Amino acid sequence: MAATTSSNLANRLNSIVGADRVRAPTDTEARAADAIVEPASIEEICEIVRMCEADRIALAPIGAARSLAGIRRSPVALGISMARLARIVAYEPDDMTIVAESGITVGKLNAAMAGARQRLPVDPCGPGMTTLGSLIGAAHSGPLRLSEGASRDLLIGVRFVGHGGNLVHGGGRVVKNVAGYDLMKLMGGAFGTLGIVTEATFKVRPIPSDYSIAVVPYARAADAFAAACILNDALPLSNLDILSPALAPRFNSTSQFLLLAGVSGSPLEIGCQAGRIRDLVGARGEILSADGALRSYELLRDVDFHSAPLAAQIAVPPASLAQVLEACGNDIEFRAHAGSGVAQIILADEPLAEVAAKTVARWREVARSARGSLRLIAAAPAFRDSLEFFDTPNDGALALMRRLKAAFDPAGIFNPGCFVGGI
Amino acid sequence: MSAIDRKLLDEFREILDADGIVSRATELKVYECDGWTVEKRAPDVLLLPRSTAQLSAILAALHRRGVAFVPRGAGTGLSGGCLSLNAPAMICTSRMNRILEIDFDNRRVEAESGVVNLHVTNAVKSKGYFYAPDPSSQVACTIGGNIAENSGGPHTLKYGVTTNHVLALEVVLPDGEVVELGGPAEERCGYDLVGVVVGAEGTAGIVTRATLKLMREPENHRTLLAAFPDADTATRAVSMIIASGIVPAALEMMDQLIIRAVEDAFNVGLPLDAGAVLIIELEGLEAGLTAYADEVAKTANLAGASSVRLARDEAERALLWKARKRAFGAVGRLAPNYATQDGVVPRTCLPRILRVIADVSRRYDLRIGNVFHAGDGNLHPIILYDEREPDQVRRAIDAGREILKACIEMGGSLTGEHGIGVEKIGEMPLMFSPDDLRVMTELRHVFDPMERSNPGKVIPQPGACVEVAAPRRQAPI
Ligand SMILES: Cc1cc2nc3c(=O)[nH]c(=O)nc-3n(C[C@H](O)[C@H](O)[C@H](O)COP(=O)(O)OP(=O)(O)OC[C@H]3O[C@@H](n4cnc5c(N)ncnc54)[C@H](O)[C@@H]3O)c2cc1C
Ligand SMILES: Cc1cc2nc3c(=O)[nH]c(=O)nc-3n(C[C@H](O)[C@H](O)[C@H](O)COP(=O)(O)OP(=O)(O)OC[C@H]3O[C@@H](n4cnc5c(N)ncnc54)[C@H](O)[C@@H]3O)c2cc1C
Repeated sequence: MAATTSSNLANRLNSIVGADRVRAPTDTEARAADAIVEPASIEEICEIVRMCEADRIALAPIGAARSLAGIRRSPVALGISMARLARIVAYEPDDMTIVAESGITVGKLNAAMAGARQRLPVDPCGPGMTTLGSLIGAAHSGPLRLSEGASRDLLIGVRFVGHGGNLVHGGGRVVKNVAGYDLMKLMGGAFGTLGIVTEATFKVRPIPSDYSIAVVPYARAADAFAAACILNDALPLSNLDILSPALAPRFNSTSQFLLLAGVSGSPLEIGCQAGRIRDLVGARGEILSADGALRSYELLRDVDFHSAPLAAQIAVPPASLAQVLEACGNDIEFRAHAGSGVAQIILADEPLAEVAAKTVARWREVARSARGSLRLIAAAPAFRDSLEFFDTPNDGALALMRRLKAAFDPAGIFNPGCFVGGI
Repeated sequence: MSAIDRKLLDEFREILDADGIVSRATELKVYECDGWTVEKRAPDVLLLPRSTAQLSAILAALHRRGVAFVPRGAGTGLSGGCLSLNAPAMICTSRMNRILEIDFDNRRVEAESGVVNLHVTNAVKSKGYFYAPDPSSQVACTIGGNIAENSGGPHTLKYGVTTNHVLALEVVLPDGEVVELGGPAEERCGYDLVGVVVGAEGTAGIVTRATLKLMREPENHRTLLAAFPDADTATRAVSMIIASGIVPAALEMMDQLIIRAVEDAFNVGLPLDAGAVLIIELEGLEAGLTAYADEVAKTANLAGASSVRLARDEAERALLWKARKRAFGAVGRLAPNYATQDGVVPRTCLPRILRVIADVSRRYDLRIGNVFHAGDGNLHPIILYDEREPDQVRRAIDAGREILKACIEMGGSLTGEHGIGVEKIGEMPLMFSPDDLRVMTELRHVFDPMERSNPGKVIPQPGACVEVAAPRRQAPI
């Protein structure tokens, strides 16, 4: 029965996109979707959505499918890969905006802007593998969030295919725009549950002429956070992060907590900031510049959490981050964006299923009592199904979210059943 | 005739003190419009709650009767957002004006929605912090109004608009239910409903409380005044400055008509012979500022500036900003009435759109001044007219519409910060397809299924949008 249905699905997809663009999933994708289709036009996506709505076939837009593989308990029937919709639609450096299809990766987008010395300053781990669709859908961000904001702050226009297979747009191509409701915010962090983003417009920023990073070791986490607090108060830093000892050795042979404070600007500004950092944290550590600084920054950005047996992202008011991480237990390793109050935490060793559940419950409670939230990034297959990936919002907010989902996805086909409150 | 009958008024009296209910026509006249004065209509009753509980009880009472309402902050809006259109009750937040908590460690402020924008910065500046969105109306406008309109200001170029600075909201839904959206942390689980309510122009219920982000004061700033022979040259300088990789904190332009009006009013020493001036503010570490200021001055000269002046001290800087922020007021002396448009174009289209505006001014025989956020491409053409002359009113409306159409043809927007309100609702179909508008209506219904919160705003009724070309709802003259 299942086989007939899926071959039936394949046949119908073939008639929309052609056989060469329906394929079996890769290993990672297999946890997210049973089959992958790679549409090459918006019209094809619209057709596919209409077909899936008519037959109540669950689908999910996918990028690298890493996040999706984590959050889905069972695969959807159809993964919509945007790999063939990956063009830059418009780029005018003097406008400082770029329009691109959602299948392009952040890395490619930035490569295209490098000549004009501009970039999209959102820095998820592995920008070369992160599509704009996933960047928006999973609200990925990185160390630069402190100075440049998150994708939420930079996304100024969006096109998506919603229910009925209708192409909808919100926002536009200009940096200031309050005409109509802010549909960009709806797509951000929605994990593909409200529609398929096909095109995005972002504000972009100049690449600073120089970048340096101070790398300072501390024996105790509390001291690293105290220093971070002083630096954040005194200087307009580009990024301000703390790594726990097991994650630190890539930078430094000591197995201590590492404070990484990035500064950018003209050589004069860098010189001044480096001097002040030395004054504030003492002569310990080193300040890397030029290529050395960039390499360290990339290591920091690309710390891999998706392959840990248990990984989560915690977000709290920044001043409580140190305490919160301490309360999460001494069996964790973390990367903390100290200025933003966001941290990724992992259990380095694979726990038993019941330990995993208890651990997540403890982390959640710690986050909640600090008025923050926690979402899982990865969990090993052995216990993945027993864990909730997202916090449940309060009743009032959740009721609105359910209404929103019902309005935007009346057939319930867009990545159903794995978002907050089972949406 | 009114939906506000004696029984409902009795209910309000149980919720509010007597002075929180205004129902005499003479007193209501003050509330007949906001800064968009082309249309006027007073509500049947004005309610002034002091707390979320009172506000919630009012909305619940209105909900039981199916009566629509319009939220109001300070009434400085420029698009008729709080015009009482098919909404007999107006609910004003002016008495919900307490700053509830200042948390310097986390750079957060929690405030009621009736708090005046500038009061937030005033409350934190002694410790070196500020609240970034700085609309020119900030001495009067409220945080709730800013949230509804997603307001910006001169410093938006660097810091973004209101939505970039709001973390959490308490909202009373149209049926009286109080919901908490977002939280004090930067990330949340679930849909970004805060991001939807910001900019919803009061159509998603009434915001009662907000958690805002604070910014650290920059170490120092440099404020430059560059004069140009004409507007074209000034806008060329804007592009060249941006292209040089320097993003100023603010980059504002005033044309000759505005320069003269401002000089007449405030005598700040703007060059009267200039065709246009740019106010350029740079901020950051002292160590880098002199070099950046030199480079900007060089670029402005290269673009054709006739003079570039650096504000010598804080007093001179304050004077320049006073000139800029009070420009609207100064223009008020030139004509009995003015209408301010708020179109946006991609920065590189500024020279083109300014030529269009000059042409419109000639063809409609109306004076139009320009004072605007040049760095963002956000125009504010100020169209001068006299409301006693029906023909002038019509020309002013048509001229504004023609400018907005040109903005959209250049890939821009109807509004950068003043909102759609009633003013631009007829032009929405120029920017959005029927599918876009239908989805926006669906989104509105998530919060307000009966369309009782600020009805008749933002989204045109399907079918009503056909008549774009004809003069829309005519001004009551
Ligand atoms: C080979 C490889 C190596 C990697 N190495 C690392 C590493 O070392 N460290 C590390 O942390 N990460 C690594 N990654 C992960 C990578 O850096 C990003 O984190 C990841 O690619 C981001 O995409 P995702 O997996 O979250 O995308 P997905 O899970 O595909 O998408 C995220 C969410 O967004 C939604 N979405 C996607 N596209 C759209 C769209 N068009 N419209 C609407 N919603 C959409 C999805 O439905 C999903 O809910 C690697 C990835 C790959 C492929
Ligand atoms: C001289 C002058 C200069 C200006 N300069 C700028 C500028 O630089 N940038 C800019 O962005 N704007 C500017 N404006 C426009 C205006 O000041 C802003 O739109 C401001 O945010 C409106 O705030 P308010 O409190 O006056 O709101 P109101 O005018 O009272 O209301 C505006 C809208 O918000 C809704 N609303 C009000 N309070 C709430 C609430 N608590 N919950 C839900 N909805 C609510 C109303 O229903 C209405 O739709 C200017 C206006 C003037 C007169």
